[in-house]
Amino acid sequence: TLRLICTSTAVQRKNVGASGPEKYTETFIKKQIEEFNLGKRHLANMMGEDPETFTQEDIDRAIAYLFPSGLFDKQARPMMKHPTEVFPEQRKIQWGEDGRPFHFLFYTGKQSYYSLMHETYEKLLNVQKHQDQLVAQDLPLQKEKRNLAGSRWLTKIELEEMLLEKVSDDDYSRFIQLLQKLVALPCADIEEKYIQKFSKEVPMQLQKVVIEPLQYDERGVAFSTGEGQRKTARATAVVYDNGTGKITVNGIDILHYFPVLQDREQLLFPFQFLGRIGKHDMVCTVSGGGRSAQAGAIRLASAKALRSFVTEKEVEFMRQAGLLTVDPRVKERKKPGQEGPRRKFTWKKR
Amino acid sequence: GLGWRLRVWLPRIMPVRWSRYNPSYLEPEVKKESYQKPLEALTEEEREQKELKAVRPIKAAPPTLSSSVFSDPMISKFTNMMMKSGNKVLARSLMSQTLEAIKRKQLEKYHKAPENEKETIECNPYIIFHQALKNCQPIIGLSNITKGGKTYQVPVPLTDNRKRFLAMKWMITECRENKHRRTMMPEKLSQELLLAFNNEGPVIKKKHVLHKMAEANRAYAHFRWW
Repeated sequence: TLRLICTSTAVQRKNVGASGPEKYTETFIKKQIEEFNLGKRHLANMMGEDPETFTQEDIDRAIAYLFPSGLFDKQARPMMKHPTEVFPEQRKIQWGEDGRPFHFLFYTGKQSYYSLMHETYEKLLNVQKHQDQLVAQDLPLQKEKRNLAGSRWLTKIELEEMLLEKVSDDDYSRFIQLLQKLVALPCADIEEKYIQKFSKEVPMQLQKVVIEPLQYDERGVAFSTGEGQRKTARATAVVYDNGTGKITVNGIDILHYFPVLQDREQLLFPFQFLGRIGKHDMVCTVSGGGRSAQAGAIRLASAKALRSFVTEKEVEFMRQAGLLTVDPRVKERKKPGQEGPRRKFTWKKR
Repeated sequence: GLGWRLRVWLPRIMPVRWSRYNPSYLEPEVKKESYQKPLEALTEEEREQKELKAVRPIKAAPPTLSSSVFSDPMISKFTNMMMKSGNKVLARSLMSQTLEAIKRKQLEKYHKAPENEKETIECNPYIIFHQALKNCQPIIGLSNITKGGKTYQVPVPLTDNRKRFLAMKWMITECRENKHRRTMMPEKLSQELLLAFNNEGPVIKKKHVLHKMAEANRAYAHFRWW
């Protein structure tokens, strides 16, 4: 066997430590993009579709058809995505050939974060200077309040993506505080463009839900259905118009099915809130769960059914009263090493 | 992880008291009157709250809360504290029997009283309940602070929630322990509530004792650092 004699220590070192996440060169990424596009065309030909108009959804469907997988985790199943989504965006090398870094804050460790803080503070000082100028000229300060409810700040993850470096919780909260201070000043409209880079629009909650139209049965009476669940109980409710306020559950009257007052109160809650107690008839079917869970499920189902009878404003009021949200609370699982979900075994000294 | 069904929202560090809701969910507002107020009647804060509510998701209303006139948050809280081993049916029936007993006693007094005093007698059991608990609430509490090896009882201000909790807890413990074996809970509770309503009785005495202790330990008040 041959043995290396004239070697340097760098070659002899066997246990080299990890050198951070894999760095992808630009040529590598370009090659991946070319391969992806070629693969997309091949896939389109295989599926018998037009290669020019083959969208990402079509790719996903084709892959799910060709490679069916029974794995539970969606991330573990075979997928074909554009390389920019697969390979995370990375920073290019931050220093030149002589070893000197490009950015003046490189040695702080978090150069983009600190440069961002500096920029934002500069804008703040700018706004204050403008304010002082207006006061010196005795002009009135603009007092238009920005609508805070319709927008939200960037989340920590989004900020990390923007800056391409890790941001700690403390740093993130400091940045948000600085932005809020900037927005609170009266003349912040000057820097509106800069602020918009860090805020996102939040759509009104109501617009996410589609209200179904009323249906009419043989007698000409309007009715609508709703489904609800709570814990393990599942309920469907059919609410009829021009009724006397009779409520039937699984063919039994509520007075017999729910002997407890609290459950009956819950059933009548949506009707009482809208003031329509004697005006509707209800027929429900419910299965699973216990007494209180069934009542909660029917409450949700009837509230959903009543949405079709009522104006949009009242639907919004129902949502704000908590009638239209599914209660996510379920029984907590028992953990090993403990007697119940929270109760530990009796502690014995010996 | 705990599987996709339970992964509603899990923080990275697991706090002991966590809820199934995402922290952005707001509490529901059940009372009908607050939705019928015109826009001008609201203050600045209320207007902001209203705009925020339009954008954020809202938690589901719990089964004890309802928009009917008969549901009272204070009564529900008291019923929950009286409940043993999850027997809400029994606790609720005891509560309603207590309120009935209060009403009967007050009506008896009302019919026996002379004309000029009839107006001063309060017959509404809900008002009596609220006033009695309000009278039992301590203003200042004591907390144990260890300094230099010795534990001192330091007078400390209490939050509203804590005051309400202490008043209800004292009332319940008093009714459970200091009664004859044969008296029923509603009877004893109604008795105690009526005494507390008139600022008499053992619960009020306990409150005064606590106040006196706090007054006596005034010297250590500077040990508090919050």
